[in-house]
Amino acid sequence: MFNFLKKKLKEITEKIVGKQKEIEEEKEKILKKPESFTEEKVEEKIPEIKEIREVKEGKTLFSKIKEKIVKKVLEKKLKREDLEPLLSDLEVELIEADVAFEVAEKIKNDLIKELEGKEIKRGKEKEIVVDAIRKSLNEILNLSQINLENEIKNKKPYIIVFFGFNGSGKTTTIAKVANFLSKRGFSCVLAAGDTFRAASIEQLEEHAKRIGIPIIKQKYGADPAAVIFDARKYAEAKKIDVVLADTAGRSYTNENLMEELKKIVRVNNPDLKVLVIDSLTGNDAVNQARFFNEVGIDAVIFTKLDVNEKGGAILSVSYLLKKPILFVCDGQKYEDIKYFDKEEFLNNLLNF
Amino acid sequence: MLEALSEGLKNAIRKIIGKSSIDEKVVEEFLREIKVILLQSDVDVYIANNFIDIIRRKVLKEKTPEGLTLKEHLIKVVYDELVSILGKEASDIKGKKIMLVGLFGSGKTTTAGKLAYYLKKKGKVVLVCLDYHRPAAPEQLKQVAEKINVKFFIGKDAFEVAKDSLEKFKDYDYIIYDTAGRNALDEEMARELKKLGEIIKPDEVLLVLPADIGKVAKKQAEEFNKLVGITGIIITKMDSSAKGGAAIAACSTTGAKVKFIGVGEKFDAFEKYDPKRFVSRMLGLGDLETLLEKAKEVVKPEKVEKIVEGEFTLEDFIEQIESIRNMGPLSNIISMIPGLSLPKDLLKQQEEKMKKWKYMMQSMTPQERKNPEIINESRIRRIAKGSGTKEEEVRELLDQYFKMKKLMKSMGGIKGLKRGQLEQLMRQLGLRL
Repeated sequence: MFNFLKKKLKEITEKIVGKQKEIEEEKEKILKKPESFTEEKVEEKIPEIKEIREVKEGKTLFSKIKEKIVKKVLEKKLKREDLEPLLSDLEVELIEADVAFEVAEKIKNDLIKELEGKEIKRGKEKEIVVDAIRKSLNEILNLSQINLENEIKNKKPYIIVFFGFNGSGKTTTIAKVANFLSKRGFSCVLAAGDTFRAASIEQLEEHAKRIGIPIIKQKYGADPAAVIFDARKYAEAKKIDVVLADTAGRSYTNENLMEELKKIVRVNNPDLKVLVIDSLTGNDAVNQARFFNEVGIDAVIFTKLDVNEKGGAILSVSYLLKKPILFVCDGQKYEDIKYFDKEEFLNNLLNF
Repeated sequence: MLEALSEGLKNAIRKIIGKSSIDEKVVEEFLREIKVILLQSDVDVYIANNFIDIIRRKVLKEKTPEGLTLKEHLIKVVYDELVSILGKEASDIKGKKIMLVGLFGSGKTTTAGKLAYYLKKKGKVVLVCLDYHRPAAPEQLKQVAEKINVKFFIGKDAFEVAKDSLEKFKDYDYIIYDTAGRNALDEEMARELKKLGEIIKPDEVLLVLPADIGKVAKKQAEEFNKLVGITGIIITKMDSSAKGGAAIAACSTTGAKVKFIGVGEKFDAFEKYDPKRFVSRMLGLGDLETLLEKAKEVVKPEKVEKIVEGEFTLEDFIEQIESIRNMGPLSNIISMIPGLSLPKDLLKQQEEKMKKWKYMMQSMTPQERKNPEIINESRIRRIAKGSGTKEEEVRELLDQYFKMKKLMKSMGGIKGLKRGQLEQLMRQLGLRL
């Protein structure tokens, strides 16, 4: 998982470190040969000397120029013009990893801000670059937290509504979450709130049967808000801990369908509104997050991470929403679900 | 459809249109913008770079063809290049055995239904379920088939069903195979698909690709192509803000072209892919060709002459608007006009307004329609009452009419409603209606 992004970050770090070493070596070479240290040669090798030289001409100033160079070399500062081309590369690489354009831009600017003019001690180059990347990503992933199991313990029944674009994996995800919570001792009921897509009810029913939990359903075409309401009543009567409500996949640009979603929320006042996002989504992930957030999103679940070695959507959506990532899903089996662990995610990404 | 991509390209092109001549610097600026737009639209980086190089070479090094300005040439090259990647002409389903493949949740089963619905008009169709992995997948196909009244075939094992279907539906014109969603890199699932391909020997293998998919599309398309040989691509979920740029990567890697586009949840929300129209809209160049053709049909020559002579009645005004409306919903027309695009809300308002204007017209006397100048306050009151509209709305109609009349006069010449000036007219209509 995320090997692609990891590889790219590694490459860029190496490039920046390489550039830093290059600068250093160049300068050392010059310093070691004071006898050949003529103005012309210096000018060829280190552009910044030219500036200084232009300020004042004449051999009497030679020692002063040298002093300045030594100072510069000792500082070993990374300059913006060294960084720019490297970080433009990084930007393209991030975009290639499905990080949305605006987010890639932010990371690039963060790194310039962090690395430009930074004093770098010998042997610490890589550390400093990796830290800069980590700092930027950490900021993007600085999301509010949610302790699902605690929340559920404190309110009964706890209503979770899942929504998302067509084919993002809502129904499968609900089954996984229900199985996950059942295994931890919570009683669950499913609400077949997708009354539109062919066989969506049968699909959820099959999951309920396999997991061994009840399901509340009506006919196709029924009001999804009412189905979920029924499930809530059922949970209240039977003292069930959690209601997990499915909804039909919808295009977020369809006003009527978004109104329907708002109605579901209005009628049922869920405790948790979860947006399910396909991690294979490209730049549009940002739009999906934006549009669905008009209904109000409390948490996000990313699906199909087993197919995606890039993982850019996680960064894009997190940057935009700043909402907790409840789970990540990475396979076809019920067990292929886990809490999102930011540290693990970052360590894995930056462990090179 | 491809709205966001098209917005960006429109802006880039608008910049070009706004400039009278093009120098190298402008070309470079244009290319940079195009590249950013392509990347933002999920076009593969390698492909985007290639694309830009080709455009640069053609525009800067080749001689601009006679009769074209450099800017026209530049736009045409971008247009031609995109068409050449996505497919030069629309191609229909060839053969009998059609297999749909793709990732999880790309919309295969819904698309299978749409395709069956489309092919139903051409011959005998059967839908065959080869997905015995996802719970209720056979049930979904069954419900879809029943809804569109098409024969379906469901069993218990994908290989058995595939084998049986060949003999069983010998006499059918089309057999559509709906396969399980899969990661083409998953060994077990890849093996299954390969074997199914060997049993069926499909005439068409269509890769179903959602419009919002990111860079993973390239690798997956490549793998699916290795396994079963992709012959065409169907882009689904185009009724969103997704940009569909991954289609370019899928086309490039497989050599297959886009055949159909899914644009909604209903079974007829399925369009035959028309690359030319598709690309020209994507570029924001609008379907100029079609627009002009249509405009030729709806604007009668004698009318034009009359208008040019300055005899422009309120009836003519409404007729003009009507004739433009006849070309399709206003929003479609607007999107055909180069360099013009409007917020959705505004368009909706305009459609509403058009309707009201027609009611107002019907509440006018023939005299009033011919000579709107005679409409005074008491007439305005009557018209508003008769048409169930507000007085200020009637005033607005009159105001627009007089403005248009002035515009018509200033345009002059029989060419008034051709090419450039039709745009101008639309701009007036579009922005002020």
